[in-house]
Amino acid sequence: MYRIALRMLFGDRGKYLSLVVGLSFAVLLIAQQGAIFLGLILRSTGPLQNIGQADLWVADPHTRYIGDIRPLSDRDLGRVRSTPGVAWAEPFVTTRAVVELSDGSYKSAQLIGIDRSTLIGQPPEMVAGSLGDLRGPDAVIVEESSRGKLAGAGIGDTFRLNDKRAVIVGIARAKTGFESNALIYTTVDNALGYTPVGREAISFFLVRVKPGADPGAVASGIEERTGLGAFTQGQMQSRSVGFILKETGIGINFGITVALGFIVGLAIVTSVFYQFTLENLRHFAVLKAMGARNMVLVRMVLLQAVIVGFIGFGIGTGAAALFSLSGRRPGAELAVYFPWPLLIVSFVAMLVCISMGSLLSLRRVITLEPAVVFK
Amino acid sequence: MTAEGRPAHGAASAGAAVVVRGVTKTYGRGAAAVHALRGIDLDVPANRLSMLVGPSGCGKTTLVSIITGVLDPTEGRVSVFGNEWTEMSADRRTRARSRMIGFIFQQFNLIPTLPAAENVAVPLFIRDMDRTEALDRAAGALRAVGLGDRVRAFPGELSGGMQQRVAIARALVAGPRLLVCDEPTASLDGKAGQAVMDLIRGAASGDVGGEPRCVIVVTHDSRVFHYADSIFEMEDGRLKDHVSRTIMDQAGAGATSGAGPTPGAGPFQAPTNGTKEP
Repeated sequence: MYRIALRMLFGDRGKYLSLVVGLSFAVLLIAQQGAIFLGLILRSTGPLQNIGQADLWVADPHTRYIGDIRPLSDRDLGRVRSTPGVAWAEPFVTTRAVVELSDGSYKSAQLIGIDRSTLIGQPPEMVAGSLGDLRGPDAVIVEESSRGKLAGAGIGDTFRLNDKRAVIVGIARAKTGFESNALIYTTVDNALGYTPVGREAISFFLVRVKPGADPGAVASGIEERTGLGAFTQGQMQSRSVGFILKETGIGINFGITVALGFIVGLAIVTSVFYQFTLENLRHFAVLKAMGARNMVLVRMVLLQAVIVGFIGFGIGTGAAALFSLSGRRPGAELAVYFPWPLLIVSFVAMLVCISMGSLLSLRRVITLEPAVVFK
Repeated sequence: MTAEGRPAHGAASAGAAVVVRGVTKTYGRGAAAVHALRGIDLDVPANRLSMLVGPSGCGKTTLVSIITGVLDPTEGRVSVFGNEWTEMSADRRTRARSRMIGFIFQQFNLIPTLPAAENVAVPLFIRDMDRTEALDRAAGALRAVGLGDRVRAFPGELSGGMQQRVAIARALVAGPRLLVCDEPTASLDGKAGQAVMDLIRGAASGDVGGEPRCVIVVTHDSRVFHYADSIFEMEDGRLKDHVSRTIMDQAGAGATSGAGPTPGAGPFQAPTNGTKEP
């Protein structure tokens, strides 16, 4: 009987294609919207992901987001360094600046200042040039995708950064922040030179704990000693994501978009599958009249739903994955992140869709009077 | 004793395959109630071809739906080979139906996405028969109705008459003791209709599908009345007291089938009420 169910499903190509296309579209909507949502969230923590060396981020205890900075005094840096369990602590500056372009226009830029001697906080990957050249006067390294925003600037080019000279000594690959400004690396000294903000000018202290030390205990020690907040990478990430979700409206707005995608997908799948069952209702009635029990018909409908569901899931998530690949190109403005848990979410969404679709269909099949075959 | 192990109806019903007693069917309530059947008593003889005839809306289809157990009566009892539908659970009734009854419909009701052999094998698949064996038997059934060379054809590739022959093969493949045909010739031209009725007649006599069996044909096609052994004429939800000899004679005079039985051949059952021998 299962073979008959499959022949009923695959035999009518028009109905089958409309079912698969409907479900694929629904899954694509859910997965793709979800991937964009996650991509945006992930982008908000871009600067965090660029830095792999630090165990702790020391900042104002009320810091809500990686870009929400209350500058720290360099006097606190000594206190942090003297906290038991701290292997090293280096200043890290993140601030905004304006880049003047040769045509007279300007672009906003995210300026990252890293320690001149240790270069802690460096970009994850150099594409061209040498990281060590950052120690030169007015030297900056431009993030790869930001070159487009800076009129295609390359190594050796100079431009005005907050009305001061900057020379490009390297091109790096790094994740940009939520605002998608051009990302420029320089030393802490240079950064403070470009954006003088007074005595308290450090954005974060990046801290590495000694081998064997408990990062939680070290963080508590730093907090006790300085009155500042010390956060693990994960905590900082959670704070940033929480801020984006709650404070920017992205959570509610994108949540609605994702929910709408799900509801539209659900409506498409439910109606298309229900329609498919309705069009086959007479055949189910004939089978029932011939002695097929309800349970057999239920299994047939469920098999059809599951098959369509899996095929639609495969096509939908495949299309969403291809879409997400386009977001992985260096310099892509599209914020897309497609982790495997999103596959599970899409799979569950697909299961909900086909369950709803088949529930309506099953209700019709179970309550179907076989006497309709005589009409 | 019956196939289900229970005693059959009393002596008055001896030899009857189907016994209907006091069956009514009412749709709706109160002033809006529609009385489709108004107290039917009927004995359908075994191993004979019986026809339920009458004008549209007279209750033929409702009665045959109740006889086959796909519709519950409002009142009354129906027994098919001793199996009383009203005393059986829906599940048991469904299983009994799969064993005992074959169906032929006006619109054929073949599954368009299945080839002929698989369509024919459906009743065997329902009974969980091994696929290879089921398809072998289906091919045999198709040969019996003259479609041995169309085993792989899909319904859309067959003429109406051929599709109905596939439906006959499907109805007979599981060896049912009761064959129920609802307007089997209504969608066919005269020649195809006669060919189909020849097969149905053969199914009753055992010439087609092996054993003789009880066949009930619902029809208002007077061209095929002469195939009947018994005719039950219905009107306004009731069985009429007499079968009109005029109708039989007219149908017999108009019959042209060479393969079919002699018009009016075969006994007409004299039931407790409803019909009498013309």
